[in-house]
Amino acid sequence: MLFKLAFRNTLRQKRRTIFTMLTMFGGFTLASISIGWSDGSYSRIINMFTRNRLGHIQIHAQEYLDKPSLYKAIDDYEAIGQKVQSVPGVLTWTPRFLAAGLASLENKTSAVQIIGIDPVRENEATYFNKKIIKGRPFSPQPAHEAILGKGLAEVLHAQVGDEIIIVSQGADGSIANDLFRVVGIAASGNQMADRTAFYLHLSEAQQLFVLEGKIHEIAIIVNKLSHVEKITRKIKTILDNNALDVQPWQEFAKSFYQAMKADVEGMWVMLLVILLIVAVGVLNTVLMAILERTREYGVLKALGTRPQHIFWQIVLEINIIALASIVLGAGLSLIINHILSIHGIHLPTSFTYGGIEFKSLYSAITPRSLYIPAITVILSATVVSFFPALRAARISPAKAMRIH
Amino acid sequence: MVETKNSEPLIRVEGLRKTYTDDGVPVEALRGIDLIIYPGEFTAIVGPSGSGKTTFLNIISGLDRPTEGKIWIKGRLLEEMSDKELSDFRRDNLGFIFQAYNLIPVLTVEENVEYIMLLQRIPREERKRRVRQILKEVGLEGFEKRRPPQLSGGQQQRVAVARAMVSNPSLILADEPTANLDSETGGGLLDMMRELNKKTGMTFIFSTHDENVMRRARRLIILKDGRVAEDKQIG
Ligand SMILES: Nc1ncnc2c1ncn2[C@@H]1O[C@H](COP(=O)(O)OP(=O)(O)OP(=O)(O)O)[C@@H](O)[C@H]1O
Ligand SMILES: [Mg+2]
Repeated sequence: MLFKLAFRNTLRQKRRTIFTMLTMFGGFTLASISIGWSDGSYSRIINMFTRNRLGHIQIHAQEYLDKPSLYKAIDDYEAIGQKVQSVPGVLTWTPRFLAAGLASLENKTSAVQIIGIDPVRENEATYFNKKIIKGRPFSPQPAHEAILGKGLAEVLHAQVGDEIIIVSQGADGSIANDLFRVVGIAASGNQMADRTAFYLHLSEAQQLFVLEGKIHEIAIIVNKLSHVEKITRKIKTILDNNALDVQPWQEFAKSFYQAMKADVEGMWVMLLVILLIVAVGVLNTVLMAILERTREYGVLKALGTRPQHIFWQIVLEINIIALASIVLGAGLSLIINHILSIHGIHLPTSFTYGGIEFKSLYSAITPRSLYIPAITVILSATVVSFFPALRAARISPAKAMRIH
Repeated sequence: MVETKNSEPLIRVEGLRKTYTDDGVPVEALRGIDLIIYPGEFTAIVGPSGSGKTTFLNIISGLDRPTEGKIWIKGRLLEEMSDKELSDFRRDNLGFIFQAYNLIPVLTVEENVEYIMLLQRIPREERKRRVRQILKEVGLEGFEKRRPPQLSGGQQQRVAVARAMVSNPSLILADEPTANLDSETGGGLLDMMRELNKKTGMTFIFSTHDENVMRRARRLIILKDGRVAEDKQIG
């Protein structure tokens, strides 16, 4: 009967109920789409940052990231890689040799970050070959080839086919210098990194610096962004090696992660605004309904209905409306989020985030994009109807019935 | 005659006063009332507008609290009961009929009558049986599925009578039950109530302005300025 009364009361002032539903429905849909959108955009941005470049998880020699040094190198990386590969959820891994040097072409000289890569693994992990905008990828076998970051090529006025001299210091203190032929120019998406990036074949980089068989970084790609932390823990356990730092992207790209977090917090502010709009709509409805039905509640109380019954009847009534709005809202949001996740939105002007350029963004259908708005709508409906319902429940029947 | 001065009083009122203060100026609605009502009475409270009829009925039924004085119903002192106890007490012992019918518009005739038995947790079969029986008694067979707004005033008030009586309360209180009805319909309603009173022994207390209604009462309590001006048995 409680439910029957509550339900039929929702049908009483149809226009008002529809208005309330529209508010809740609109609030839900907006919130759901914006969460789906931000989840989609952020996972895309994070993926661009990690999947396509840095990797989701990185392994370094202890404290390498705090103070990078040629000597903080990883031995026997193949064995480590095999162990990493055995962890469920790991898609692939790729080794990197990192060192600083000077590159010269004719009268131009520039400081460079030498990045020795395994061409096959690197392409598998971060789609390296897709980043090559001019020239070609590395040959399978080392052949004194180099690929330059786009910015670096501009600084040095380098073209495909040019020969560049690299000068640095080897691990044994000797002068390291050699000649490499430019076979390609790559745009990683990060313009700052591209101004210094000088890619070499892994084994040639190792030879140059007299560090055969050693590397500085292992980048790991996992199957799902949300599993990164769990997989990081598993890798740590399986490696069981204190001399290695195993870090998820949230740690090795801390400033990026924090910028991201701040942006996501902006989403909560928007949710709060939506919540407020819903709350005002609900409050209006509840107050009007209770005002109109004061007499009726007085009668119900006179007949012996307990106050808490009246209270629950009102809260239930609002929540029936909320539930119906959520069901409708979920339907619409799923459709919109689905469309936006496939077609995305092409941005009128591309923007750069963390040095990466974005031209269009996509939504994602996440459980969050449904249950967070649902909880907020239910919660705001309940909270807002709480005090009016309490007042109606406490109404003195004698007074209520004097109102004509 | 069911009423006898020898039986236990149903209601005892002593030194009842009620002063309304919520509108700023204190209004003395009741200024000292002492009364005894016995089981089975069919009593009218009459008096000019503002004499305190509604106030009196509200207080003896626990819908409002007195400023001063004591009220016992079925031997229980009302002031000792919490709001929740009063609510349960009303549910189990009192029936109400109001001037403006006050049926729940979203419930059908049947459901309106059934409502109080739901509060009492009476089993479904029993509820259905009683609803059918009482609607027959008030002459509303065939109207079970209608909603109150689809009924005439007289019909609505008969639903209200059915609702008040269906739980077999000891006392039925009716504040101007006929005020919204024409004289003939009102008289008919009163005759019906009197019949039920005779048949079941349920006590009725009702307030009225209407001569036509007063005539049908067995006892007349006349209020004037919040005091009992006259209290007489009829017939
Ligand atoms: N809640 C209230 N606040 C203030 N004054 C009230 C309140 N209820 C009743 N009164 C006053 O108390 C007095 C008695 O009112 P009551 O309603 O009991 O009279 P009544 O005999 O039922 O009148 P009527 O025949 O018009 O229904 C009146 O003067 C009325 O204005
Ligand atoms: Mg009155």
